[in-house]
Amino acid sequence: MKKIKYILYLLIFAFYLLPSHLSAQQQRFPKPEFESGYEQPSTVTPEPRALSLEYFDVLVLLAVLSLVTWLILKKRSRQGVLWVSIFTLIYFGFYRNGCICPIGAIQNVTLSFADPAYAISLTALLFFLFPLVFTLFFGRTFCAGACPLGAIQDLIIIKPISLPKWLNKTLGLIPYIYLSLAVLFAATGTDFIICRYDPFVGIFRMDAKFLMVVLGISFLLVGMFVARPYCRFFCPYSVLLSWMSRFSKRHLTITPSKCIQCKLCSNSCPFDAIDYPTDEKEVVKSGLGPKRFITYALLIPLWIAAGVFVGERSHTFLSKANNDVYLAELLISNPEIKNDPDNIDVQTFLASGKTMETLVEEAGGIRQKFYYGSMIAGGFIGLVIGVTLLNTVVFRKRQDYVPQKGNCLSCGRCMDYCPVEE
Amino acid sequence: MKNKGILIFLLIMAAVIIAVFVSEFLSDRPDRSKPNPFAYDVEEFKNVDPELILYEESKNFKIGFEVPAAIAVNNNKIYVAGDNSLKIIDLSGKLLAELNLPTKPQTVEVFNKTIFMATENRVFVLDEEGNILNEWEQLDENSFITAIAATENNVFVADAGGRRVIRYSEEGEKLGEFDGKAEEGVLHGFIIPSPCFDLDINDESDLWVVNPGLHALENYTYEGNLRSHWERTSMKPEGFSGCCNPSHFTFLSDGRFVTSEKGLVRIKTYKRSGEFEGVVAAPNKFVEEGRAPDLAADSQNNIYALDFDKKMIRVFEPKNNTGL
Repeated sequence: MKKIKYILYLLIFAFYLLPSHLSAQQQRFPKPEFESGYEQPSTVTPEPRALSLEYFDVLVLLAVLSLVTWLILKKRSRQGVLWVSIFTLIYFGFYRNGCICPIGAIQNVTLSFADPAYAISLTALLFFLFPLVFTLFFGRTFCAGACPLGAIQDLIIIKPISLPKWLNKTLGLIPYIYLSLAVLFAATGTDFIICRYDPFVGIFRMDAKFLMVVLGISFLLVGMFVARPYCRFFCPYSVLLSWMSRFSKRHLTITPSKCIQCKLCSNSCPFDAIDYPTDEKEVVKSGLGPKRFITYALLIPLWIAAGVFVGERSHTFLSKANNDVYLAELLISNPEIKNDPDNIDVQTFLASGKTMETLVEEAGGIRQKFYYGSMIAGGFIGLVIGVTLLNTVVFRKRQDYVPQKGNCLSCGRCMDYCPVEE
Repeated sequence: MKNKGILIFLLIMAAVIIAVFVSEFLSDRPDRSKPNPFAYDVEEFKNVDPELILYEESKNFKIGFEVPAAIAVNNNKIYVAGDNSLKIIDLSGKLLAELNLPTKPQTVEVFNKTIFMATENRVFVLDEEGNILNEWEQLDENSFITAIAATENNVFVADAGGRRVIRYSEEGEKLGEFDGKAEEGVLHGFIIPSPCFDLDINDESDLWVVNPGLHALENYTYEGNLRSHWERTSMKPEGFSGCCNPSHFTFLSDGRFVTSEKGLVRIKTYKRSGEFEGVVAAPNKFVEEGRAPDLAADSQNNIYALDFDKKMIRVFEPKNNTGL
């Protein structure tokens, strides 16, 4: 009993001591009092997002993907998809500020392979994998309603116009180029360009640089007439999704049972992602199919070689995007810049204590990576161009109106046009 | 063509998108980085409205010290200490006497023809012939004396190292000391990040001490009780900025304050109430990022600034020549 009393006294003593101790911890210097009406903001240190909340994000993604897939494949409800994409826009877009997203996760995955010192978080990995796995089985349901970038564009489609096939194909090459560059830059530790040039993240966060606001608004304005331009002609993740979707067994179908060739759906897709029934007679009549196929097939190695050559030639230019490389070149060509106190990068380098020799050596290593990386990227782009050309002369027999599995975003608009009932 | 307008619009937008990508890619390079938005840039504060400048530099004279230390004006004579000597100069700049000092001086004060000179931790009392009349007890090794102010029977010594003001009798007997602290939460005490800690006594025998970390001038009773204070924190001419300003100050004959600042070097006057009055010398008069000049004033309200960087005494007279 005596012991308890003793402890109680100690606690009371500590209780009285604590506030007096805290009040003694006063700021040594007064904050400057600006006289311009500016109010000194209080210092805020943002806490990292709790791990449990990160896993919650993964759960939300999983739930949204499942719901959209169910709405598309089972419920066949375009309206349902629309509501889910509005939720996605609010949650993953405006609430989570567009980060983390599977598109940018490409770079995390790449860097984790290229840099042994970089450990990818489980969340980033799951965000990268889940949409791909879903797409492999059910088509691009992620694009339909689980991607905030897609959702914001989908909501502003006003008067979609159909692009000529050649233009569609040509612009369709950009995501491959973008993906190649994104992987190259991430693998060399240069930059995460997908995040840097994300046109909508600034809108989600409402604090973008002026140029990025211009970019985001431009994409949205274009998107009023060319539906979802970023998804179709820029998104590097769409390349992977497109590959997966081609193998999907349970992809969206326009008609729930047998197509009655009513053609009502023929103009329903704002993304030009519906293949029409083929006219076999016309192909046979032209007689050019096999000849072109052989020619284009033979050209593929040449395209790859050309890509490798262009990559090799451009590696010096591309490597300048790396700050170490650029800084080394700058300091070698303009040694007097060391005396420029306004050049933050140069002054930061000088203050780091790193020697010029070390910088040049590191820059040389990075440039070597760019040398091989650019050739691989160039060869890949060459291969894509060759195969794209080859695809233009491949004849695929179709009797019905069907979605192009690779390009179809599974938005479900076409389903609404189909008069056939289950 | 049916969609001609839309196509033109799309082409323009496509051009904008490409332009943004290209310019963004090319803009963020080490030699094209944007200026540091957090750079400490005080350029705009160096420009002072000419109407605010109430004084003009009437003359200046080299004093021949390698390391000038301090200045005082008394009985129409200038006392300037530096190296290992003390020079007595008349107001026109003519050397009247040069006294050898036993050691390197830090500060000097003259009262009734008695010269108080201090090294880092000891005060010497001299007459005008250079004879050492008294040598006070040495302060502890952390002490760093930066200023002395004397009046009838009281000599106050500013110890920047000890962050305190020590009160002595004229004979050097320690009468007390204070550190500017009061009951908790009211006063911080003297905040002195660098050896810039000045004090002075005005025409009404009031003791004023600079609290440089607070950008304040504080009036204490001789016992060390705070009586009043004023403070101005601002980069603008009206206020003080940086870690330790004002670095030096003195009084005009009517009790107005004259202050000097380091970093953004400038000299200014304030009314007895602490209200900003005008500028004596704008930053463009001094070496960039230079030291704050030590100050003294004569009975005509001419201001004598010891410019440590140019190693000269610079005399500033009121523009209207009426002593303002």
